[in-house]
Amino acid sequence: MADPGSAPAPSAPASAPEDVLRVEHIAKRFGPVTALQDVNLHLKKGEVLGLLGDNGAGKSTLIKIISGFQRADAGRMFLHGQPYEPKSVDDARAKGIDTVYQDLALIDELSVYHNMFLRRERVRRPLPLLNNREMKSEARRALDGIGINIPRIDVAVARLSGGQRQAIAVARTVNSASDIILLDEPLAAMGVKEGAQILDLVARLKEEGNVSIIMILHNYVQVFEACDRVNMIQEGRIALDKPTSETSVEEITNIVVDEYRRAREEEHAANTRATENAGGTEDVPSAS
Amino acid sequence: MVTIAAAVYFAINTSTFLTSGNFKTLLPYFAPLAILGAGEVFVMILGEIDLSIGAMYMFAPIVFYKLDTAGLGLVPSVILALAVCVAVGAINGAFVSILGVSSFVTTLGMLFTFEGLSLIISHGTPVATPGAQVHQTTSLVHHVVNGHDIVLPEKINHIGTFAKIFGGGVYSELIWAVAIVILLQVVLTFTRWGLYTVAIGSNKIGAAEAGVKVKLVTIRNFVLCALLAGLVGTFEAVRSQTIQPDPSGPNKILLLAIAAAVIGGTLLSGGSGTVVGALIGALFLGILEDGLILQGVNANYLLFYTGLAVVVAMTANVYVGRARRGHGSG
Repeated sequence: MADPGSAPAPSAPASAPEDVLRVEHIAKRFGPVTALQDVNLHLKKGEVLGLLGDNGAGKSTLIKIISGFQRADAGRMFLHGQPYEPKSVDDARAKGIDTVYQDLALIDELSVYHNMFLRRERVRRPLPLLNNREMKSEARRALDGIGINIPRIDVAVARLSGGQRQAIAVARTVNSASDIILLDEPLAAMGVKEGAQILDLVARLKEEGNVSIIMILHNYVQVFEACDRVNMIQEGRIALDKPTSETSVEEITNIVVDEYRRAREEEHAANTRATENAGGTEDVPSAS
Repeated sequence: MVTIAAAVYFAINTSTFLTSGNFKTLLPYFAPLAILGAGEVFVMILGEIDLSIGAMYMFAPIVFYKLDTAGLGLVPSVILALAVCVAVGAINGAFVSILGVSSFVTTLGMLFTFEGLSLIISHGTPVATPGAQVHQTTSLVHHVVNGHDIVLPEKINHIGTFAKIFGGGVYSELIWAVAIVILLQVVLTFTRWGLYTVAIGSNKIGAAEAGVKVKLVTIRNFVLCALLAGLVGTFEAVRSQTIQPDPSGPNKILLLAIAAAVIGGTLLSGGSGTVVGALIGALFLGILEDGLILQGVNANYLLFYTGLAVVVAMTANVYVGRARRGHGSG
């Protein structure tokens, strides 16, 4: 992995009372692979934070730690100034953090409305039977409110297109009354029109000002369209933290390209050393 | 559909198929399979399989016998024997969901272990089922023959209330089977438990990300399956009045129960299945075996025909299911 001396300095955690979420010195390893080294990140109330980074930089891992799906090896998190240690996805959701995962977490065999209400089912009393009628009408209302057209909500989601599936996953989270929403590539698999619908939805949520959003995106243009601030993860650290008004597609692109060149030079140097070493060891058998 | 076709076929081709007497002989074939199939459906929808039901079917009555002869009483002995099955089911579920061992391997191991344990505990000797013995009483019945009043002694068979409820009564197992199937189908379709079972079988990671407690649901379904297997084993021991420590019967009924679930439309790959379907599958197997016997098919051919019918029925179901869902299963 990277030589710590050459890595960009992590953004210093500035103490700000308006932060709804603070992440300090988070690290996570998977066996020999270091996914996150030392991540510091903060999210202000009502803000849309874009999270960038190349494949494997650790974006999804960070989202999964904040959403309670995985535990960090080290570091601390604060929610509204209070220590935040989610024990499970349910726990995080109860504390107001909900997530749209990259793989959407949709259940192919279940209907649209069962998917939208998974883990938040409406249940009758006294017998705990599912109240399907109520869930159907609420799901319909939620989808209409977002402006997403799903012709039938009682069909299995396996029968829907990629964009429709994505829309349902987003709608499920938006509908959950959480005040922090994490979106892991919400525009993947979407057509241009559907993508624009989701970005409109994000803009509308921002206008209402009740929710704060962290959004992983790959398309830099969309980042500048939708986000207030951008954080760039590189090799498990935040390499850049700037408001979108103070940076440009060019600057972000250059960081990625420079990093790529530096890594390639390092690799080249390592290969050269390895070849020299190999040359040295070749003498050993003949000597013995 | 396949079941109806089989029933119609045998109704036309044999004179005694549609009689109440024959219905009674059909019951012992299909009621136990329907109950075992119901439990197996809950495990198979998860995308898992439980082979240990054969062992629970054999083990529960032996535990019941040992506890009863130790003086515990009939009902407490049955309850404790079933509690043992619950524990074994929990172990199965824990191995599968917490340790990540394949359910096929786990439950195959449990099948051999508990069939072996059954043989060890029982010393391989058949015993009479406690509480299931038939008492005969003789009463004098008046008959009028050619204007003469004749009194003749008649023997009447009695079985105890315990035996009547736990499988000894003619319709006891049928009532249990129908009640269990209806209850579990409601659980599967109309409760969160059922919804999560389908969710885990369809997309385990997605279900976990949505917050479904995958381990809890998996353990619970294995417990249900083992409990029902122990219950059916007890019913059959009471009905036949003997506890046979012989694994061949349990091994056959285990495979037939899985066949019933699959004929009923439950996918081995998980995510889809119905309890009512397993009942219909069990009915099909019962009708097939019974109908073939009535038709006078040589006993040696019985298994052969059953096998062919199972393959045909399962293939038909796969194609019907695929056409209905409007896309290739995968």
